Amino acid sequence: MADDSHPQTTETASLGELYRGSGIAEVLAQLDAELVGLAPVKQRIRETAAFLIVDKARRAQNLTSGPPSLHMCFTGNPGTGKTTVATRMADILHRLGYIRKNHLVAVTRDDLVGQYIGHTAPKTKEVLKRAMGGVLFIDEAYYLYRPENERDYGQESIEILLQVMENNREDLVVILAGYKDRMDRFFKSNPGLASRIAHHIDFPDYSVQELLEIAELMVGKMDYRLDDGARAAMAEYVARRIRQPNFANARSIRNALDRARLRQANRLFGAAATGSQAPGRDELMTITAADILASRVFRQTSAADGEAAHAPLSDR
Amino acid sequence: MRITQGQFSFLPDLTDDQIRAQIEYALGNGWALSVEFTDDPHPRNTYWEMWGLPMFDLKDAGGILYEINGCRKAYPKHYIRVTAFDSTRGWETPRMSYIVNRPPEEPGFGLVRQEAEGRKIRYTVHSYATDRPVGERY
Amino acid sequence: MPDEAKQCVTGNTDKRYQAGVIEYTKMGYWEPDYQPKDTDLICLFRITPQPGVPPEEAAAAVAGESSTATWTVVWTDRLTACETYRAKAYRVDPVPNTGPGTNTEQQYFAYITYELDLFEPGSIANLTASIIGNVFGFKAVKALRLEDMRIPVAYVKTFDGPPTGIVVERERLDKFGRPLLGATTKPKLGLSGRNYGRVVYEGLKGGLDFMKDDENINSQPFMHWRDRFLYCMEAVNRASAATGEVKGHYLNVTAATMEDIYQRAEFAKELGSVVVMIDLVIGYTAIQSMSKWARRNDVILHLHRAGHGTYTRHKNHGVSFRVISKWMRLAGVDHIHAGTIVGKLEGDPNTVQGIYNVLREPKNEVDLQRGIFFEQDWASLRKVMPVASGGIHAGQMHQLIHYLGEDVVLQFGGGTIGHPAGIQAGATANRVALEAMIQARNEGVDLWNEGPAVLEKAAKWCEPLRQALKLWKDITFNYESTDTPDFVPTETASA
Repeated sequence: MADDSHPQTTETASLGELYRGSGIAEVLAQLDAELVGLAPVKQRIRETAAFLIVDKARRAQNLTSGPPSLHMCFTGNPGTGKTTVATRMADILHRLGYIRKNHLVAVTRDDLVGQYIGHTAPKTKEVLKRAMGGVLFIDEAYYLYRPENERDYGQESIEILLQVMENNREDLVVILAGYKDRMDRFFKSNPGLASRIAHHIDFPDYSVQELLEIAELMVGKMDYRLDDGARAAMAEYVARRIRQPNFANARSIRNALDRARLRQANRLFGAAATGSQAPGRDELMTITAADILASRVFRQTSAADGEAAHAPLSDR
Repeated sequence: MRITQGQFSFLPDLTDDQIRAQIEYALGNGWALSVEFTDDPHPRNTYWEMWGLPMFDLKDAGGILYEINGCRKAYPKHYIRVTAFDSTRGWETPRMSYIVNRPPEEPGFGLVRQEAEGRKIRYTVHSYATDRPVGERY
Repeated sequence: MPDEAKQCVTGNTDKRYQAGVIEYTKMGYWEPDYQPKDTDLICLFRITPQPGVPPEEAAAAVAGESSTATWTVVWTDRLTACETYRAKAYRVDPVPNTGPGTNTEQQYFAYITYELDLFEPGSIANLTASIIGNVFGFKAVKALRLEDMRIPVAYVKTFDGPPTGIVVERERLDKFGRPLLGATTKPKLGLSGRNYGRVVYEGLKGGLDFMKDDENINSQPFMHWRDRFLYCMEAVNRASAATGEVKGHYLNVTAATMEDIYQRAEFAKELGSVVVMIDLVIGYTAIQSMSKWARRNDVILHLHRAGHGTYTRHKNHGVSFRVISKWMRLAGVDHIHAGTIVGKLEGDPNTVQGIYNVLREPKNEVDLQRGIFFEQDWASLRKVMPVASGGIHAGQMHQLIHYLGEDVVLQFGGGTIGHPAGIQAGATANRVALEAMIQARNEGVDLWNEGPAVLEKAAKWCEPLRQALKLWKDITFNYESTDTPDFVPTETASA
């Protein structure tokens, strides 16, 4: 249809239409609003969206490209927004018509791999069928492969996964996620899988400043606010916490805030018990420095530093 | 002959896209779908073999088509049907059933008549396919 | 209870039971403050009072005459807990669009409740003898119609209901997700057994699920019942073998006596028929007997509503068919002819849909537009499969499915047998039209607007359907219905 001798003006026009009609702008705006920072990730998402729109426009003009491979790999430390971005990615793919349903099924090794012979194939297929029409998100995908145990059923799962990723491209987009170094090793041992992943997105750790913005965003969503003292305490908290083991970026911030809310409630309750006036709306919303400074993070650095390592939840 | 069980046997065989559309209708109603196959399509043969369990909680027809195609690959010359089960109170029964695969040649049925007392006749519908052992029928 | 009424009923008993004739309202049959109990049976009557009779008095009179009252005071009332047994009219509303300024005499909707103990458990005969026994000839009302009835769950549970019901019938027949197709053998009179069975075979092999005897096919000189049964079952079994489907023929077992009916039903069962048929004219007791028989013998029970038009059609006098439908669901039939909307017989769309809902829903909500005045919990009584029969053809398939849904038997008698290329072609045309329409509906096609296009498309590859559409395309029966609802939805201002 595309005739070289006659430059097609409709093509560029339809690109704009595709962009506006698809509502991708809204998804990207939503991504900007709900995710602080992550500039390189957002850039990659924009590029991917642009690629998909152009691919669609090309296909509308009968230009050969074949269905693009859409399977992806998201690498980064815990709490860097991989699941959230995967959900938005499903949204984008759905709006552009690359998947039929806007849904994401998130699983780990335990959902895919069975305990005994003959258990794994039906389990993996079950998950794949549930995800069909949408996105399958496999967190810490490298656990599927355990080279130390040659009879491990994970390999069986990977083989079925590969088959479906190849034969049912129209039905399913797979996103593998996990730590970057482990994922790289995993791909090295499973070149078949690596070759089917077209898009790699790396999620960097958040800076202290970004984590503080995340904290503000989170308290706002829960109808709380930090007073000035609390804000300063939070900055100090983040600076300390980030150096401790098991730091999980945004997830650690959420945990810290959940504990601060507990302490705030306890403080208000204690005051009421000693005969103070009932707290007003403002007090019910406000988290103060004390609520944050009571965290173990502050005690640990001053006294027993090593304790955090074996605390099951070092965010305390 | 052409067996006309199921919802759409008088129409030309459904394409995969048409099958998908019907599955989407069932999923939209919250029904679970199952794939069943048989080499004996006698009208009273209720229990065809199950190709796996009915599929609950699926959101898209892709998963069911995946199983239909798996069943077709394993049993290309069998009858295969898709059944949709409704679990709501007052139904709790199939709400849809249609054939998605049939043998290239359908041998059909003979009618066996046994003369009984008076002018009564006892009728038996006989599947020609079952004249041969399982595994050699089509 | 207002003071005045209370005095009449309980206070000044001397006056209430003095010999003589007093107004029904004063006898305790009018209790405007009465709150119906969950166990009460409630009737809605349409009353046209005689000139000069106030609506409350007319309502009280109906309550009285359908329960304990007689025309004069009797002292023997005082030997009973008569207040319990008295039916109570508790509400009268003027019927919309009647009375001054309209072409119709003023009518009223009267709500009357009946104590549960007035009725024998599980007996339609007793229920109807109570409610419609004498009162319809009563002089104080000019005309009277039983519009609707709320049957308390406690009474519903004394009935077995349909022996098979929609769910089990579909499982037995292995037919899901589409209306069933049938046809009445024509001509209804004069065919010999052998010729009759030919029609049955052709229709079933062509694609119908059922063939049917007509209501007046019993055992006449031209064809005795045993012959008919034998030839029809040959046809049914041949068609089943030819298609791989379960097929059936409604063998009409209606006869002069119950003994004959049982004899014919037994013979049908021995021959392996999945279904037998009775006519409404055999009476409620016979229907209930046959329901029990059908339940014992795993046979579907088809009811033709022969004769109902004599008392259901007129809007101001008689019994509405929705009430008959409720009684038949209690009595226990599996199929009942319930209207087509688009065919040759009486049937306003809303009224017919109301009747279908009564037959098929687990619970009816109040739906004035469809003539349903009461919430009705069916307490897990099985669902009756409605049958749409009379003057319908393949070209109306989209309208039929739009109005009637998929749990219905569509009976195309003339629309099958009158096909120019023969009965098999006629049956095939109907089955193709049906399957194409269900397929399209499930794919999300708007049947009301796109239905004709769906039929045209299928007719491109199905010659019998093309012929059917060509022959009957302009046949419609557009007459005004007489049995129409009194309530129309009011337009919302915000539209």
